[in-house]
Amino acid sequence: MWWSITTTSATPKSLRAGVLSIAVVTATVTGWAQVQDVRAPATVAAGQEAVVSTAGSGDATFYLVGPGRVIRRQVRLGQEIRLQPSQLRAAGRYVAVACADSCRHTEFYVLPGRVASLSFLVHPSRAAVGQQGVLSGVVLPFDQYRNLVLDSIPVDFELKVNAQDMGSRTITTQNGVAWFRANSGSHAGAVQLVASVGDVSVRRVIQQVASDPCNLRVKAERNAGIIQAETEAVRDCAGNPVPDGTIVTFHETSAAGTSTVDAPVKQGVARAQMLAAGPAVITVASGVVMGNEVRLQGQR
Amino acid sequence: MKISAHLKIVGRCLWIFMLVSGGFVPAVRAQNEGVPQIKLSTNLARARAVEDLTRSALTRDYGLAWRSLAQAFESGSPAVLDGYFVGSARKELGGAVASQRKEGLRSRYPLQEHSVEAVFYAPEGDVVELHDTARCELQVMDGGKLIHDEQVVLHYVVLMTPAADRWVVRQLQAVSRF
Repeated sequence: MWWSITTTSATPKSLRAGVLSIAVVTATVTGWAQVQDVRAPATVAAGQEAVVSTAGSGDATFYLVGPGRVIRRQVRLGQEIRLQPSQLRAAGRYVAVACADSCRHTEFYVLPGRVASLSFLVHPSRAAVGQQGVLSGVVLPFDQYRNLVLDSIPVDFELKVNAQDMGSRTITTQNGVAWFRANSGSHAGAVQLVASVGDVSVRRVIQQVASDPCNLRVKAERNAGIIQAETEAVRDCAGNPVPDGTIVTFHETSAAGTSTVDAPVKQGVARAQMLAAGPAVITVASGVVMGNEVRLQGQR
Repeated sequence: MKISAHLKIVGRCLWIFMLVSGGFVPAVRAQNEGVPQIKLSTNLARARAVEDLTRSALTRDYGLAWRSLAQAFESGSPAVLDGYFVGSARKELGGAVASQRKEGLRSRYPLQEHSVEAVFYAPEGDVVELHDTARCELQVMDGGKLIHDEQVVLHYVVLMTPAADRWVVRQLQAVSRF
């Protein structure tokens, strides 16, 4: 902008000249900068360059208000404004504003790019074998700028036990999410879950552990007035040995009364010693499972 | 005891109650001041039904998140976001607030109404996806000059996860439509 001052007289001709001069002064004060239009593409892929075009004359201040950053700079109206890829990484709504004597604006959306990473949430970390619907997984696909990819995308899920494939399925994302429920297997051990989209994959491990004891069996013998009872190898119904520390309850009933011993499983079996002089009945239980019954004659 | 003595005791109790509640009620009002209106529907949530308590907590915490967002942009202080934003949402919004302050700009969201639909609730409850149709006014100021003022309807895809004592926004992504 620059100033110019012109004197005027009172005559009609000079009055018109004076009005023109005032108009010139006004025009030069404002620089004649006028934003007529601002345009941008409706959508831009994240991390790609974009061009905003302006119509008008003179200088203006350009603003870009977006989800991750705000830009402000001086521009020349009528020329293209190039937006750098680094300025358009965050997906969302952007407002481009150009201001001179007045402001004009437009909006556009930055869309997520292709899938570059997966968030894979798996529960639980340990699960008992033979349980219905106990395993669950949720996958959220993201592009390289951590924008949630909302397009429908097929996600491949694979289940492996001891490096052996135990099954697979493909689930298409809805609103950027794919999820599943599954039963736990019949064998204790590490279960590997793999979720993949194209060449992007994520691996999670679930530890399958033995379920409740099953087919509990005990043997007992009297030795010098002491009853020694010992279970066979304690396993669940699928044959998986229960973890050491699982409590087994030995119960002894005789004419003198009853006694109970809680013993932990050690190296797969549980052992207990009880005192009983006369005939006795030994039973065993663990959790909700009861084992067999052993009858011992009295000491002679 | 005479009736007048009883009335005196009752009156004193009322007086003490008013003193105590008079301090409590303004505190509650202050906590809710500036929290935008949130209408949350959970009927269409996939995978798991949203419990009543969870719905209440989501409504409360999403409203508080938007209040902190508006305060952060108006004050130019990214730290205001720390209470209710984490991960990508915190990073992006923090970047926008910081760059706005650097350029000498301010944004205001004086009017907000949010119609929110829960579309997904994870089986173990560790993530929820919301679709927010937000009716708001957006004002952008350059110094003292208003450069942009619009009444707008915006659509957001929101991911929230449970934190220690609240739900926090992990992703806040605007889309042209759901």
